[in-house]
Amino acid sequence: MQLAVNIAVLAAIYALVSCGYVLIYRTSRVLNLAHGELMMLGAYGLFTTASLFAGYPLLAIATSALLALIVGVLVYVLLMRHMAGEAVLAAVLTTIALGILLRGTIILFWTAQAQHPIRALGLTNQSIAIGDAKISAVGLTLIVVTACVYAGLYAFLRYTAWGIRMRAAGQNPLLAAQRGIGLHRIYALAWGLATFTAGLAGMLVACDSALDQTMATIGLKAFPAALVGGLDSLLGALLGSLIVSASEVLIIYYVDPLLSEVVPFIVLLAMLVVRPWGLLGTREELDRV
Amino acid sequence: MTPPLLRVEKLEVVYHHVITAVQGISLEVPEGSIVALLGTNGAGKTTTLRAISGFLGVDDARVTEGSIEYRGHRIENLPPHRITSRGITLVPERSKVFENLTVVENIEAVVPRPGADARKLAEAVWEYFPVLARLRDREAGYLSGGERQMLAIGSALACAPELLLVDELSQGLAPLIVEELLHRLQAIRKDLGMTLLLVEQNAAVALDVADYAYVMENGRIVLDGTPEKLRSHQDIREFYLGTGAGSGARRSYRDVKQYRRSRRWYG
Ligand SMILES: Nc1ncnc2c1ncn2[C@@H]1O[C@H](COP(=O)(O)OP(=O)(O)O)[C@@H](O)[C@H]1O
Ligand SMILES: [Mg+2]
Repeated sequence: MQLAVNIAVLAAIYALVSCGYVLIYRTSRVLNLAHGELMMLGAYGLFTTASLFAGYPLLAIATSALLALIVGVLVYVLLMRHMAGEAVLAAVLTTIALGILLRGTIILFWTAQAQHPIRALGLTNQSIAIGDAKISAVGLTLIVVTACVYAGLYAFLRYTAWGIRMRAAGQNPLLAAQRGIGLHRIYALAWGLATFTAGLAGMLVACDSALDQTMATIGLKAFPAALVGGLDSLLGALLGSLIVSASEVLIIYYVDPLLSEVVPFIVLLAMLVVRPWGLLGTREELDRV
Repeated sequence: MTPPLLRVEKLEVVYHHVITAVQGISLEVPEGSIVALLGTNGAGKTTTLRAISGFLGVDDARVTEGSIEYRGHRIENLPPHRITSRGITLVPERSKVFENLTVVENIEAVVPRPGADARKLAEAVWEYFPVLARLRDREAGYLSGGERQMLAIGSALACAPELLLVDELSQGLAPLIVEELLHRLQAIRKDLGMTLLLVEQNAAVALDVADYAYVMENGRIVLDGTPEKLRSHQDIREFYLGTGAGSGARRSYRDVKQYRRSRRWYG
């Protein structure tokens, strides 16, 4: 039972992070390898807003989430926009450089020591009993937030004009522009949303455990989850997250906790050998990478 | 005299800095008319349309000379979605619908020209193409060729164009369907007061509906005139309509020596 709870919480974390990879990839065919660092930035953002709005935890969280959204849009407008028309590889390398830059900036502005934003918010992370298992309040929040984010993204992409345009631009950017859709606007929106969800994930994970430089690793570990699912499918990302987290939790429990860092990548390699386009990905999609 | 809706002047388009696909063509599209741009494969028709609709950059093509004026404003350096928002929409030759979106999503995805009533436009599309209304929730990738062309035209109409560019309407479609589509387009043009620039290899089809036509070959305009004038032109009858003197069957234009044609056209 406790194992199932652990799997669910970890899957929620991976899912919340990996939907950002999927959003950016399926709209602009760019792999954002700075996603983990952007997630970390969101968490440090919360650490700062928590001290700014001491006593108003919700306001602090909302402000930080909004900041994450703005940062995402800015990353596109100031940086990635200029990669349009360049080779995809150039764009991916740019995101790697951005990630390194962000790491450096974070050390510079905040400390490299572990922080506990939940204390700064003035909240505590109680554990709640479910049967004979326990789940932390933040862990439960993570699951709820992830469910809401996925439901929201699904509704956005399926039922709103801008969501449909985002899918259209991902499929056929040429035709999308011909149909009056401004691609820069769509890509900026995708980056904004992806960074927003990454920020949410970063904040919640930081509240559940602690905040330090290792957070970017969680972002990196969520990447196999996105890829196992197929990289262009939200449902795939959800499924991939479940698979990766289940393997990770079970191997930690039955084999060796030291393997935790490598399990997602083993799953990834296994997947790449058997079914390189992912569980729910489109086959042609990967040929273009 | 009022200036034409679209005026292309001495346009030159170069691919990859070396291949000159369009070599200084000039043409005019008066408001409210149907103009046809004819020519065989590789003549440069699609390239011309792409230059007008702002779609050169992706293939590393450039307008190196000349100008494109729409309502008196130069548009040759505008990004494509801006050109659409000015009122020019292209129905492209290939990949003309979003295959993984449903029919209704294809229509909803467009961003109509500012000031246009999106809802009314969508309604109009369903009215003009009742077939599409029945297939609303079908994924566009599963449509037949004719339905796909209808959806392409329909979603272009949803952009509220003043000038609709159609690249090879008849390509790969049965003659009956082509005829129906053309009549529908004529009706739509009348109702909405649109202007049409049709690009066609199939001259017979285009000359039936056009008010004026240009013939392109090797990146140049070699002939232009009213359909009556072009129909009576010996070369057009021989190469494009297949009704030339002496030849029962339609002849390929390659059968005739290039210099003979050029002499007649330029001389
Ligand atoms: N992407 C491209 N790169 C290089 N050359 C091209 C490209 N597209 C078209 N061309 C060349 O430009 C010329 C005109 O092509 P196009 O405009 O497609 O003709 P049409 O539409 O009349 O058949 C052809 O010789 C073709 O080979
Ligand atoms: Mg063509």
